[in-house]
Amino acid sequence: MRPAQDNQGSFLGRISIRRNQFVDVNNEQEQEDLELFQRHIADRFTELLSPPPQQQPPSDEANTVAPVAATEQIMSVTWLRKLMDVFLCCEAEFKAILLMGRDPTQISKPPFDRLVPEMLDRSIKALDICTAVVNGIDSVRHYQRLAEIAVSALEQRPLGDGNVRRARRALANLVVALSLEDKENTSGGGGGGGNKTTERSWSFGRRSGGSSASKGGATIGQLKSSSWAVGRNWSAAKQIHAMTGNLNPPRGNEAAGLPQPMFIMSTVMVFVMWVLTAAVPCQERSGLANHLPVPPKHLSWAQSLIGIHEKIGDEWKKKEKKGSAGLMEEMTRMEKLGHSLIEFADAFHYPAEKEASESAAAQVAEMAEICRRMEEELVPLQQQIREVFHRIVRSRAEILEVLEQAGKLSAPVV
Amino acid sequence: MEKNVDKDPDHDHDDKSKGEEKAVDAVSDAHLPADDVAHQDGNSTKENVDVGNAETDHDPGDNVVDDKVPQEEEAPEPEIRHTLESFSEELDQLLSSLSLHKEEHKDDKEEKTEEDYFQIPQFVGKFLDLLEEKLSKYDSGEPKTTWYQDPEEVSSLLEAVDRVSKLMGLLLNTKSCLDHHEPLINHAGSIQQRAMAFLEDEFRALLEESVIKEPPVVPADDSSSQRKSTGDQQDHQNDAVVSQDQDQTVVVPESVDQEIEYPGYSEEVVALLRKIAEKMKAGGYGWECREVYLVGRRNILMRSLKHDCEFEKVSIDEVQKMSWDTLEREIPLWNKTFKDCSSLFFPGELKLAEKIFPGDEGSLFCIVTHCLAIQFLGFAEAVAMTKRSTEKLFKILDIYETLRDSFPAMEELFPEELRSELRNEVASARSRLGEFAINIFSDLENSIKSDSSKTPVPGGAVHPLTRYTMNYLKYSCEYKDTLEQVFKSHSKMEQEEDDEPPAAKSGDSAFASQLMRIMELLDGNLEAKSKQYKDIPLSCIFMMNNGRYIVQKIKGSAEIHEVMGDTWCRRRSSELRNYHKNYQRETWGKLLGFLAHDGLMHNGKIVKPNLKERFKSFNATFDEIHKTQTTWVVNDEQLQSELRVSITAVMIPAYRAFMARFGQYLDPGRQTEKYVKYQPEDIEDLIDQLFDGNTSSASAATAKRRT
Repeated sequence: MRPAQDNQGSFLGRISIRRNQFVDVNNEQEQEDLELFQRHIADRFTELLSPPPQQQPPSDEANTVAPVAATEQIMSVTWLRKLMDVFLCCEAEFKAILLMGRDPTQISKPPFDRLVPEMLDRSIKALDICTAVVNGIDSVRHYQRLAEIAVSALEQRPLGDGNVRRARRALANLVVALSLEDKENTSGGGGGGGNKTTERSWSFGRRSGGSSASKGGATIGQLKSSSWAVGRNWSAAKQIHAMTGNLNPPRGNEAAGLPQPMFIMSTVMVFVMWVLTAAVPCQERSGLANHLPVPPKHLSWAQSLIGIHEKIGDEWKKKEKKGSAGLMEEMTRMEKLGHSLIEFADAFHYPAEKEASESAAAQVAEMAEICRRMEEELVPLQQQIREVFHRIVRSRAEILEVLEQAGKLSAPVV
Repeated sequence: MEKNVDKDPDHDHDDKSKGEEKAVDAVSDAHLPADDVAHQDGNSTKENVDVGNAETDHDPGDNVVDDKVPQEEEAPEPEIRHTLESFSEELDQLLSSLSLHKEEHKDDKEEKTEEDYFQIPQFVGKFLDLLEEKLSKYDSGEPKTTWYQDPEEVSSLLEAVDRVSKLMGLLLNTKSCLDHHEPLINHAGSIQQRAMAFLEDEFRALLEESVIKEPPVVPADDSSSQRKSTGDQQDHQNDAVVSQDQDQTVVVPESVDQEIEYPGYSEEVVALLRKIAEKMKAGGYGWECREVYLVGRRNILMRSLKHDCEFEKVSIDEVQKMSWDTLEREIPLWNKTFKDCSSLFFPGELKLAEKIFPGDEGSLFCIVTHCLAIQFLGFAEAVAMTKRSTEKLFKILDIYETLRDSFPAMEELFPEELRSELRNEVASARSRLGEFAINIFSDLENSIKSDSSKTPVPGGAVHPLTRYTMNYLKYSCEYKDTLEQVFKSHSKMEQEEDDEPPAAKSGDSAFASQLMRIMELLDGNLEAKSKQYKDIPLSCIFMMNNGRYIVQKIKGSAEIHEVMGDTWCRRRSSELRNYHKNYQRETWGKLLGFLAHDGLMHNGKIVKPNLKERFKSFNATFDEIHKTQTTWVVNDEQLQSELRVSITAVMIPAYRAFMARFGQYLDPGRQTEKYVKYQPEDIEDLIDQLFDGNTSSASAATAKRRT
């Protein structure tokens, strides 16, 4: 399970030429650090994968009440926050390995003269994704507020036509938003699901009064256009793709040394960015599922990461066909509840039937719970992503600084 | 509740009548058909009100109350055209008595329930129907003008909405009403919802379409513009509203030159928006209104930035790939956008939110602007992440200054809890920019250190490195206060690396000591370069040229002069004088030697061969000097003339004296002509030709000037 071992000798031989006495003594130490790093990565992602979902993510249409208990289910907002923590930990550890006690000239020599700039380029792209995702979370907060309107309307007693229609209106906006974002993102990918929802909100609009007809869905569409944070032709999927383009597991001698943690860290970074992009509304994501090459299965540290990747990738492929703003677990449930409550609203006749309204009440309670969790966790998640942003900026600057020192050291002094 | 349920409705006849009378008393003998009916048959009224309204919401205009009320009772007064207004007074009376009722029965949870029933007169249903009718009319686009352009309509609608909301509030909060009037509550709630949905749409339309300074392009592709087809009459008080009629002609507002500040709504529109927001909030629909506002404002703000500032979001990745030419053009746009946001757009948003949602305390403003503010800072970070080059310094400092100068005002707009977060974001961007700038200077240091061109500049002229460095420093000193600040706040790492603390050298100014360091490096480099000249006088000229250039640059700009200080300039000038002296000695000292008076006389007699030799040597040496030194370059006019003057001042008197003393010993005629090549005036003229950088006519000197 330690792919490093067998190549150690030659690697050390090669490196020690570059390194001074002090570092040479610490080579054993470094090998240990590298192994520890890999083990930590493995542990952290295993933990992310481990509290296994009590239930498969709600996929059968009949089951409208999803497992509420699974707060740490993959892609839940709580889980995403844990993922951010994991990223920050991995990053800090990686930077220590890369920079601490190291002769700066080492990371400016081949193959690092290629690997380091590639890594820095990836981090630039990650920054844009962070910005896009922070903005996407802003959209999610908008959905949350729409859902809250629906919840508060449906919590009213006695439940009358006005309340139901009020909720219906908010839910229609919500559901359109949850699918429309994606419909626009996946060029040509917006299938029947999206259209159906749009139609529904149309018919709803007409019923509630002519002038609102065209606007039922338009509200959200308009928010979208201004919510893109990054740039006109920017595409999250393309950036993820570009980040992975030159990301290859180190071979031969390199596999035992520093290129290995660099590969690991880059994989983690791309993976985390990919997850975020899939989780919340994000600019242009068509083909996202195909853009993340799975790290080789034999790598011990990658097992859990691959596991998570497969789960999310499958979900994404499903969603991409149907259209969805994001795979964040709360959003998925919100969408489901939204559709089901719209059905309830459409069938509603005053006075409320006991059975229908009881089942609706349960859904409303679940929606309220989701809103509550979003209220608690979305802003902190946003802040964590900003933290990730700044961390990446700082690390990049630190690495560049070291490279510069190396440049000065090797430059001819006049 | 239980008590009431227990009772058979048919048996509480009298109680209801009592309640009914109370209500009637309260409205001071209102004479309404509903009342009549109620008096006549309280039981049936109750039934009408309660059951009748259950289904009214889906088919407006078809009032079930009317249906169920015996036709003959309705008949006497069908011609009286009730309006929302005509009902308003009675409705208000009812509301106050209902609220009184609610107060009275607030505490009696168990007993006295027979007193509990509150009769709702039938006109309430009629009122609701009228309101519904009105809404239907609006929706079908029946009125020729948009409702909000008619102040009467505005108050009629808003007051009616207000009454419905109050009614709903009271009904929902009065236990007896909840017990007895649920169908009415449903009906009223349904109408209320419809009215609120209508107001929500109108609020959005107003928000998006009545901006005065909005570019007229915008409404054209707006989905809601179709609604405006009904509003082609723009002659109302609301002439400020930019709108479109069916012909897509833009009605240019007369008041366009009155320069309404961003966000550009007229007072009337703002007042109306506020009223709608108020009514929606009062009816419990405040969240819808806020959401519409948020979405609308965000879009409008982005459009405004794009339109007014030509601002386009650019990804960090894209910024890295941009050519400097392109990025250089983006940066002023960004600066302008950020400044405008700080001074105009964001304060405008805050004010608008406060006007329309009084007491909101910035929460709406934050949602509208917060993300945008962070994205702005992303651009600053992005520029600071680009590949460093010295040409970028000034634009980087521009961004730095923009953040420094414009952010405090922006920060003020945000509530405390967001301020610190934004402050951190700005601090991060500023350190990145600051480090960028500082590193540029160390790049400059390195480039001076490593400039080791082996070919000396011909003629000892000013070296391009000197020119480049000095011009660069001169421009950078136009930012000297900013640079001072940058070096003070962001150069910790530099200080750690340096053995000697830079601040120690010249006062407290970190930037000044950076400049000194660069000047020293430049001096060192120039000195090394001067050694490349084999000719010592030429290397002196080279040092003088460069030194003069440096001093002139520094004296020529108050900023850099201030940084370098007078002492430094004086020291430099005295160094220059030394080079001058050296030059003079090296070049002209030897020549003067030929004009020395000693060694020509022997025992009071002239030694003619020596004299001839002296003249010959003098002529040859002078010609040689003239020949080479006319090719030397002194561009600085003052320096040039100083040199010539000082040479003349040394040479001419000596030459004159020598001529006066010894010229007589040469035989006039051929001998004189042969040895006295130059008259003092000729020498003077020839000296004036030195340092012209004149390579072509260098040898012409001998041919020329033979007086």
